[in-house]
Amino acid sequence: MEIVALQILNSLFYAAVLFLIAAGLSLIFGVMGIVNMAHGSFYALGAYITAWAVIKASATVPPGMLYLFLLVGAVAVAIIGLAIEPTLIRPFYKRPEEYQLLVTFGLLLVMDDVIRLVWGGTPLTASGLVDRLGMVTIGGLPYPIYNLAMIGVGVVAAIALWAFVYRTRFGVLLRATAQDRRMAAALGIDIGRIYMLAFGIGCLLAGLGGAIVVPTQAAVLGMGVEVLVISFVVVVIGGLGSLEGALVGALIVSALRTITIQFWEEFELAALYLIAAIVLLIRPTGLFGKKA
Amino acid sequence: MSNGSMDQDRRDFLKQFGATVGAAGLGAAGLAAGPRTAEAAAKPKGNIPDKPLKVGHITFQTGPAELLGGPGAHGHILAMEEINAQGGILGKRKIETIFADEAAGTDANVKELRRMKLSENIDLFTGVISSGNTPALGPVAEEMKLLTLFNDGCTDFLFDKAVPNPKYTFRVTNIQSADGVTAAIGAATHWPKARRIASIQPDYSYGRNVFEHFTLALGKLLPGIEVVSESWPKLGTTDFTSHITKILSSKPDLLIAGVWGGDYVAFYKQALRYGLFDKMKVATTLAFGGYPHAIGKDHPEGVLAGVHANYHFLYPAADRWPINKGFVERYYKRWKEYPSFESDGAYTALYLYKQAIEKANQLVGGWPDDDAIIAMLEGAGIDSPAGYLYIRADNHQGYKDAVTGLSKNVPGYDFPVWDAKSIVSIPIRSITAPPDWPKPGQGHNETTAAADWIKKTWPQVGKA
Repeated sequence: MEIVALQILNSLFYAAVLFLIAAGLSLIFGVMGIVNMAHGSFYALGAYITAWAVIKASATVPPGMLYLFLLVGAVAVAIIGLAIEPTLIRPFYKRPEEYQLLVTFGLLLVMDDVIRLVWGGTPLTASGLVDRLGMVTIGGLPYPIYNLAMIGVGVVAAIALWAFVYRTRFGVLLRATAQDRRMAAALGIDIGRIYMLAFGIGCLLAGLGGAIVVPTQAAVLGMGVEVLVISFVVVVIGGLGSLEGALVGALIVSALRTITIQFWEEFELAALYLIAAIVLLIRPTGLFGKKA
Repeated sequence: MSNGSMDQDRRDFLKQFGATVGAAGLGAAGLAAGPRTAEAAAKPKGNIPDKPLKVGHITFQTGPAELLGGPGAHGHILAMEEINAQGGILGKRKIETIFADEAAGTDANVKELRRMKLSENIDLFTGVISSGNTPALGPVAEEMKLLTLFNDGCTDFLFDKAVPNPKYTFRVTNIQSADGVTAAIGAATHWPKARRIASIQPDYSYGRNVFEHFTLALGKLLPGIEVVSESWPKLGTTDFTSHITKILSSKPDLLIAGVWGGDYVAFYKQALRYGLFDKMKVATTLAFGGYPHAIGKDHPEGVLAGVHANYHFLYPAADRWPINKGFVERYYKRWKEYPSFESDGAYTALYLYKQAIEKANQLVGGWPDDDAIIAMLEGAGIDSPAGYLYIRADNHQGYKDAVTGLSKNVPGYDFPVWDAKSIVSIPIRSITAPPDWPKPGQGHNETTAAADWIKKTWPQVGKA
């Protein structure tokens, strides 16, 4: 039975990371109407920057402070996102959707190459962050305390995001813009600023996801594309543009993945796409998506 | 049957293979030739054009597989620069290589190969890492009559089925089925008491092949083995925690891991944390397969660290095989890193091509045509950094002795290397199907000729 407890925790950790990425993807789509193909690359960038900063700083910075670098990675990605939106994405708002897909896909390719150019092919790790916190024994099997803490971070991030969108003034502006861009603009909302900040927040979440993951795994080339595909499954199930959908989708996908790995390994990917297909058949907009 | 005589059985069996343990294994290959540097190249005959020789090289330049592709490209470039520094092949034709990224996918690779031949007019095609790609590229190379020396992409399927009668395609490195068999012999040598087997393999042809041949060979060597857990993460997986939890819960004695490249790095780091290496023995086919420095000193000792195509830069030892010593020194000087088996393969492929052209030139004079070069490649032997490599004429496959060993941290390197005492070296003819063995579909329906050959000819240890 101990295995069940452990696999549930594995599943929750994975769900926390998936939620951060999918929430960013959904937020950007919900507000700006852009399907950000480069979203996985921002996640990878968060992982690389965090690992690189931890490696550089580990000689001089006290060990306990190294955990702050998780935020450094996330914030750095957000700043890059804030710079990219007005320069690369804004010129394409008036064009048909295909152009936005193309430009973000191009961004994906460029970012992957930049990552390779800067950090090379060797994986970067920051596993000291996990090892320093140690392990707890659950039913006779070890489990990293770091992972437990990061499940907590995922919960806090979900609550904070919800409060931000539904309980702040900026959240109101964000939702207003999402509902009707022209009306919002007519009421004097600075749409350009809202778009830039929405994109920045989306990137912040993706970067945070990467930062959280990198100590438990490693920053490797191609990690962005892998997570992009899975987060698309998450938002298809949950409904693109919906934060609740991202949360529920992440929980479903991670639980399904863990169950298939434990019992029917061969069906891991098939099961994910099957569920996505069934959801699309029954509710084409996803579980929490709004009708177009 | 008592345990004592069973052990005796297995020792006899391993002895019959010619498998040796410890650093002294090289003699088994029947090496007679001295270092290559001793031979002075014969003067080229006839008129040689000075037009550059164009080579195409597709390998992984991005993604987790870059850990293998990078060293391959480095080995190719080193050989190219050395040959060009001597004035090129036959002293006249310098090599120019066009590179492309294998990560673009199989269809894109096929298109790129056609483009390289049709619009760049390449004379030779080399490289390729993935077993998914050689069976697609091989038939195209044959169709375009393009001389091809695959570096890897080691699936048995290539010369068993996809190109059963190769003319233009060759492959210098390993056959895939030998990976699982080598790991099985290494595991049986070091851990003869293992019975409960867990497996984690990438979910594509390579992983399937390793699992099948490992369990098949191990079953012959260790009676009564039982597979207690199978994990099939897809290629490119970064999160292995659920797989590790599953493996731990099945309480195996031995784990066989065929995950490779960046996947293996992610796997071992996560497995370390969960104490996996303390709870079971671990055999791998590719732990030492990427850049040597891709794995850190935190990698546990005592793991059977496979090198897939049978080369790790400290073996054969410098005092026994000066060719390797010189290669490692030049490679380090050029790239500030140590070579991997892909480096050795890509480097040797180019020299093999050069050697074939030089021989053909002595016979026919001038620049030899492809038929003359192919005739010299078939049955060719070359002293490579890894030892003696020969190309079988019947299936165009390169054969060299299989080798694996246990990981150990030693002073002087920032990464683990093999424990010299633990190295297991196996003559390749002992673990691969002989030339006349029927291919799949010719009287048997096993997945490979090797599987059929093992099933039918290997004795069962522990049975009278």
